[in-house]
Amino acid sequence: MSPGAAPTPLAQARYHLGYQVAGRATLRVQRLRDERRLAARRPRPGDALLPTLASMARMKELMTGHYLRGRYVPGVRPVAWVTSGAPVEVLTALGFFLVYPENHAALCGARKQGAAYCVQAEDRGYSRDLCSYARTDIGAVLSGRTPVGSLPPPDLLVCCTNICQTVKWWYEVLADHFGCPLVTVDTPFLYGQAQPHQVDYVRRQIEEDLTPTAERASGRHLHPRRLREVVVQAHEASQLWLDILDRSQHRPAPMTAFDGFLLIGPIVNLRGHPETTRFYRHLLAELDARIAAGTGAVADERYRVLWDNLPVWYRLSGLSRQLAGLGVNVVASTYTYAWGELASMIDPDDPWGSVARTYLHPILNRSTGHKLDAMRGMVERFGLDGAILHSDRSCKPYSLGQIDQRDRLVGDLGVPTLLLEADHNDQRVWAEAQNTGRIEAFVEMMAAGR
Amino acid sequence: MAATLAVPSRSGAIERARERGLAVVAALPYHYPRALLRAHRCHTVEVWAPAVAVDSGARHFQAYTCGLITRGTAFLLDGGLDSVDAVLVPHGCDALQGMGSVLTDFVADRPPVLTFYPPRGRRDVDRAYLVAELRALADRLADVTGHRPDADDWQEALALEEAADAALADLYAHRTELALTDREFYTLVRAREYLLAEDMVEATTVVPRGPARQRGVGLVLSGILAEPLELFDRIDEAGAHVAADDLSTGTRRLLPPAATAAPADPYERLADRLMSGPPDPTRTDPVTARAAHLIGLLQRSGAAGVLAYDPTFCEPELFYLPLLREHLAAAGYPLLHVEVEPGTPLPTQTVTRIEAFVETLS
Repeated sequence: MSPGAAPTPLAQARYHLGYQVAGRATLRVQRLRDERRLAARRPRPGDALLPTLASMARMKELMTGHYLRGRYVPGVRPVAWVTSGAPVEVLTALGFFLVYPENHAALCGARKQGAAYCVQAEDRGYSRDLCSYARTDIGAVLSGRTPVGSLPPPDLLVCCTNICQTVKWWYEVLADHFGCPLVTVDTPFLYGQAQPHQVDYVRRQIEEDLTPTAERASGRHLHPRRLREVVVQAHEASQLWLDILDRSQHRPAPMTAFDGFLLIGPIVNLRGHPETTRFYRHLLAELDARIAAGTGAVADERYRVLWDNLPVWYRLSGLSRQLAGLGVNVVASTYTYAWGELASMIDPDDPWGSVARTYLHPILNRSTGHKLDAMRGMVERFGLDGAILHSDRSCKPYSLGQIDQRDRLVGDLGVPTLLLEADHNDQRVWAEAQNTGRIEAFVEMMAAGR
Repeated sequence: MAATLAVPSRSGAIERARERGLAVVAALPYHYPRALLRAHRCHTVEVWAPAVAVDSGARHFQAYTCGLITRGTAFLLDGGLDSVDAVLVPHGCDALQGMGSVLTDFVADRPPVLTFYPPRGRRDVDRAYLVAELRALADRLADVTGHRPDADDWQEALALEEAADAALADLYAHRTELALTDREFYTLVRAREYLLAEDMVEATTVVPRGPARQRGVGLVLSGILAEPLELFDRIDEAGAHVAADDLSTGTRRLLPPAATAAPADPYERLADRLMSGPPDPTRTDPVTARAAHLIGLLQRSGAAGVLAYDPTFCEPELFYLPLLREHLAAAGYPLLHVEVEPGTPLPTQTVTRIEAFVETLS
């Protein structure tokens, strides 16, 4: 919608009937059916993985609802496309509907459609050496196709460099395509502790560029009270997400990191919304019930393992089953923690300052030594037997440093560590026989160490 | 075609710097404040993918890492670190970020590693941050050298480095009046990567004048690193020449002179100059700005097309290419993109593609 334009009556009517009435009702019925189906499931003899968490049905309702809402939102709400590490509290407080191209790309990847979209981008000249999230997203944009029906075009692009520099070039491509404003929140990489001028830089960009540009694009004024409300929700949901992940310190762990890769959807996409907070409260309660009942996610949890880097989306269920079949539960991941470990930094009483500090400190914006320290801490807290470092050719900032991290985990801690070569979204990179063999050898190493 | 221009050697430049009591800093590519280092009595010698065995670098970085990183790391670990007092790693991309971080966190018994994060924008807020980041780098340099520059140090350093930049700009401005081949010209341009500023100025004064030893159709050479230098011979043999460049080892770091009303504060002055370079992928400038810049280079130089010559796995370059190609095509200019592994011989296939491209332009 054009800056400051009032919603059109026709668009509002479509939104009301298509999403708020019919769409939400349908999704609610589907969720109730899914919950009944999941509740009725009982473990079968020989199953390596226990039945899916019932909360997955709620997660599906939330995320499907989000994308469904996106179909009806043009002309009703301003739309921003944002990176996964962008300071979205300001945008949410201004009423933007948010699209996360990375999440959309992951969704394509999980449906094993990533490579098909990558090819669309490659046919237009985008190199196969570029990030497969970017290629998936650019392929979807150029082809106009998406498994979610349609994505609302952006009125604003917001790119934060705290996850990589790649996003800046990717969003320059989107800005050229859509012809809409692009705001960059540049977050200096932290080789050590954050310096005051770095925090001040991030804060000033949010206050002096992001906020006024978003206000112009939305035609609204940011109210401090509304921003505080959103920050309160973001803080609580992030803390709940951290608590959820920490529940896997229990033996047996009530969920796997592969569950976490799916359940992360709302904290990434709907951070700052009350329904997200409610969802994670519900999930935490389900995990606590599993813990009380002594129920683990993997039937025979013999080895507890760390996952580093993004998931291999197109092999998520296959890897989960393969590892569970070998008695391995991947109980912790540096990736899922990225949306919880900074919860304590979020301060509703200092929204601007705390948002600046928070968005400067994601693990991906910190040194390779810091990531090693984080992994060491997880090895201790979760009682880990091994680590799988996904060497992701599509994610250089996450992957560079892993060779030294592996050497330290093995040499200093004696933790068997597998460097698994793959790509998070482009299944053409996956070498099935080689990786299966390497995973089996990795488990044998853990067994030999006992 | 053999190079005939005599340019002081890299080892000679390091010796000269030592004789003058300067610490030697190995600098990775490529936006950093030379005058700030000079004011702290440091001389920078740049490391761009030396042709060394890559093994030591490959022990730290995966096979899909840019060759500038693996070869730069190998060079430093296989003796390079022994001959410098510090290493400076500017943050130009995710790969350089990884290199700076790995050197800092996982390499023992090394000189100090200094990092520098230039902003990814040209807004007022970016400039203010850059001034503060320059001050932070100065503090770390003072720790390394034990020297805090006074006003005279700053004045001398700024004058020397700005004079060298001006001399380099003058070379470019008078390219067609220099009796040099492209290989000789870029050998001289790249001497700025390791010569003392005053020696760079001296080197530019002895360049033979006369018609440029160039022939054939003009190209704009774009990319990070035009190596090996044999590339220029092959372009010449194909019947073309470099009419202008958009290279990281060329005009991308050719900063305009300081304004007459430049700030007296040296950090502000440095920030203004660093922010004023031409559109550049590592600065993440908009596609349209880069396209307009390239089209301007083509029009002013009379070049007929763009040769985009990139190291493998270079995201900053690769993201722009499809749209640059579209913008250039709309303006009537073709673009050929080739990728090479830095620090290795020029592949025959690459030469063949360049020859075919030149044929189409001719």
